[in-house]
Amino acid sequence: MDVSADLAFHAAKFNVASNGQNPDEFISVDTGILTAFDEAPTEEEEYGHDLESYLLNRSKIATTQLFASLLALPTTSSEMGPIAHLPPSTTRLPREKPLPKPKPETRWEKFARMKGISHSKKEKNVWDDDRQMFVPRWGRDGQNKDTEEAWIRVIKPGKEDEDPILAARNERKDRVAKNKRSQSRNEAEATAKLAIGSASVTAANAAKAAAQTGSQVSQAAKKQLRDARKQELERNLLVSKGATASMGKFDEKVEGEPKAKGVKRKFAPTAPTTHAGEKDSQLQILNSLGTAATKRAKIARPKEGIEGDVNARKAVRFNERMERKTGGAGGGRGGARGGRGGGRGGSSSRGSRGGRGGKK
Amino acid sequence: MAMLRTIKPKNARSKRALEAREPQIVEKEKTAIFVRGEKTSEPVRIAMKDLHAFKLPHSINFSKKNPIHPFDVDPSRGVQSLEFFSNKNDASLFVVGMHSKKRPNGLTWVRCFNGQVLDMIEIGLEKAVPMSEFKTTKMTPGHRFLMCFQSDLFSTHPSYILLKSMLLDFYNGHEIDQIPLEGLEAVMTITAGPLANDATSTTLEPTNGQTDLVVDTTKENLPLVHLRVYNTKVSAVAGSKTPTVALTEMGPRLDFRIRRIKFPDEEMMAQALRRAKMEKKNIEKGLGKKKKNIELDAMGDLIGKIHLGKQELKSLQSRKMKGLKEPKTNVRRKREDGAEGEEVAGGGEGRGKAKRAKKAAAAEDVDVNMSD
Repeated sequence: MDVSADLAFHAAKFNVASNGQNPDEFISVDTGILTAFDEAPTEEEEYGHDLESYLLNRSKIATTQLFASLLALPTTSSEMGPIAHLPPSTTRLPREKPLPKPKPETRWEKFARMKGISHSKKEKNVWDDDRQMFVPRWGRDGQNKDTEEAWIRVIKPGKEDEDPILAARNERKDRVAKNKRSQSRNEAEATAKLAIGSASVTAANAAKAAAQTGSQVSQAAKKQLRDARKQELERNLLVSKGATASMGKFDEKVEGEPKAKGVKRKFAPTAPTTHAGEKDSQLQILNSLGTAATKRAKIARPKEGIEGDVNARKAVRFNERMERKTGGAGGGRGGARGGRGGGRGGSSSRGSRGGRGGKK
Repeated sequence: MAMLRTIKPKNARSKRALEAREPQIVEKEKTAIFVRGEKTSEPVRIAMKDLHAFKLPHSINFSKKNPIHPFDVDPSRGVQSLEFFSNKNDASLFVVGMHSKKRPNGLTWVRCFNGQVLDMIEIGLEKAVPMSEFKTTKMTPGHRFLMCFQSDLFSTHPSYILLKSMLLDFYNGHEIDQIPLEGLEAVMTITAGPLANDATSTTLEPTNGQTDLVVDTTKENLPLVHLRVYNTKVSAVAGSKTPTVALTEMGPRLDFRIRRIKFPDEEMMAQALRRAKMEKKNIEKGLGKKKKNIELDAMGDLIGKIHLGKQELKSLQSRKMKGLKEPKTNVRRKREDGAEGEEVAGGGEGRGKAKRAKKAAAAEDVDVNMSD
């Protein structure tokens, strides 16, 4: 890179400044990082004559500018005197570490997202009516052990031989084990997905990625990765075999070649066994067509904000719209629209019924 | 690369500690490590001591000597050790102090990204006066100081731009959103001397396809850089927006020249400069770029407004009917007019005309034959 042209340009630009003009013009300030940049070139004469006083004077000018812009910032008072609120910096500096990757979704999270189930945090302690105190949901003295520790139980008919304490305990332990299983499955799926995702181009890369992540990839994940790779390879092989004029019919067989598995077609019997059977099957198709749309709609719009018989969200929006129509016309917006504003589509576009909460 | 073994946390405390080291959207302040090479000199020790004091509490001082040569071609003699220190201490900035006959009084500033060396710049100290020589009040440890970069070189010359970026990253790089004004006690000014007429800069080719290029600027006769730190005393002037600032030198006083530089790998730098997108709640608060046509209603729902363009009813395609077509004669005339205009371009219309002419000629031929 030849910067001499750049330097010459700058020298020409600042020559005017060095000949006794206001040096403040060349100072830019980035208050976000408390820094001033004085872009005027250093004057050779003064610099050579008395270095320290030159540096001091120059620093004074830049610092004054910096302080002036810092003092102009919005402040709040505190015990330590005024606190200035700094704007974000305009200077770009490198990060220390890359941006965090989004966490892979668990099966439940995926399901909840599709169904529109919102997460609500459970309190760790719950009120126990019997003990008249808050008790933990689980753990020591946890509420989940109530059935095991109850002093009297109902024994269901036919289960007289069973130990109720053991049964309750086993049930609880099974729940924990099940959660652990799905947890490890989620982890395995996440690692396999990561490995495949990072090396989807070739199977060789996938193997390399698995080797790199090394100890972190569990056995299950490795198997999953291997299976995925095998499937991909087989598919590719079949596709390439079929890419001849004869669709691979006269090609030589490779040892251990996978068999092409197509979808087997199934036909309904040409003559229906019963008259009612045909009617039922046709009705079933019709019904499924009708319900599918409504089901889809239900999944897409979970019903939030409905309390009792009133949809609060709708009510609030309706209210706002009415307010705008009646009172808002005199305000800034209505005025800006001019004479045409009142009746025109303003209200309908503003109403924006489509604007579901939180979704842009 | 010297890899640290991956640790699986055995208790909640160590788990939290490990999580704190993972990449974050809003990062904590970078930690610096001051490392001594095999041999150091008095100016190097002075500079390192004071620079370390300024960076506290985000600074670690290695008091033992380390056989490190950051610019060595063999990574095991320099870069690898630094990367190891970086991972071990969760630090990403280094100052390596070294002294040799060939390169006396050297300080190498190193910056890491993701546990790997991003860029390096070596400076040779020519003068170093310690902070203790100046009999003034010193800065409160941990306080921020202001910084001033003075000279056009800091925005034009690649070496000086890198030096500026490095120093900024060291001391003021961590963004904070508020600061008590009375805590601003000192200013660090970095001034570059005037560029000599015989200074060469054509040797600087940092982006010539090679990413790990090390540039030696020793022969370029680049001007000195003066680092000064002053105490500030601010007093407001009645009726004026600009205050009066009084400066007294606090030290240290460092004069140095830029020597060797390892410019950052472009791809790595691009990664390092990436910023996180604004979070939704921040956008709602009105931070960042101003969003038009988005508003919050009383329920806390985000409502977007869509402005549709003007409806052009004239250009709207309605039902096509034979009776609504333009008469054919008019169409032909129009097309021929168009063809004349486009002859130079040789477009489709022109070709159409030629075709029609050919057809007409053929028809004439037929006529002639028939008459014969």
